[in-house]
Amino acid sequence: MQITIQFFSYLKELTGCAQISETLAAGATLGALHDRLLAQFPRLAPMRKSTLLAVGVDYQARDYVLQDGDEVSLFPPVQGG
Amino acid sequence: MIQLRNSAGGMKRKLTLTDQPIDESAFLRQRCMSANMGAAAYFLGAVRGTEDGAVINAIEYEAFEKMVVHQFDLLFAEIERRWPVESVRLTHRLGVVKVNEVSLLVEVIAPHRAEAFAACQWLIDEMKRVIPIWKKPLAA
Repeated sequence: MQITIQFFSYLKELTGCAQISETLAAGATLGALHDRLLAQFPRLAPMRKSTLLAVGVDYQARDYVLQDGDEVSLFPPVQGG
Repeated sequence: MIQLRNSAGGMKRKLTLTDQPIDESAFLRQRCMSANMGAAAYFLGAVRGTEDGAVINAIEYEAFEKMVVHQFDLLFAEIERRWPVESVRLTHRLGVVKVNEVSLLVEVIAPHRAEAFAACQWLIDEMKRVIPIWKKPLAA
């Protein structure tokens, strides 16, 4: 299945891109995708615990099972106001 | 600019995300309170001249806009569930905002000050926890 991944704020600078696409096996979880991205972009590793994960427009936990076409977003703690 | 209005018979909500300066006078003039409401709480956030001890001249705000809209909608629904609030309006600047300029303006209208203050404070606290907006300080 095909998943789109967006990076926001300084995660975009650490990865050098705003958006990528990954092919994952059916049943893959959000946590597994995150681990794969950490291997692919080692500069994200120090922020592993603080990185927020969303699918579409909702926050999701690492055990969330991804669906084909999901749009995943990774970003640091938010700072509005 | 994104504007979201939703009343549908319940609490009135208006969210504005804009890269233009916030017109405070216009915001106040647009206040709409029914006869049963006795309190309007306001919060104004402005860009400070220092960030982590360093002098700055502006902050650049970045947003994941469609998630911002959805997450604010969830917060507004929770306010409606918790307090007898008639109306919430919130405007957030995006893009480059200079020191002293307004980055955030919030209005909460309720029957009494206790609910208005509580809902306003809760909304801003939750915004800083879940709304996907980020700040990038721009050095002086």
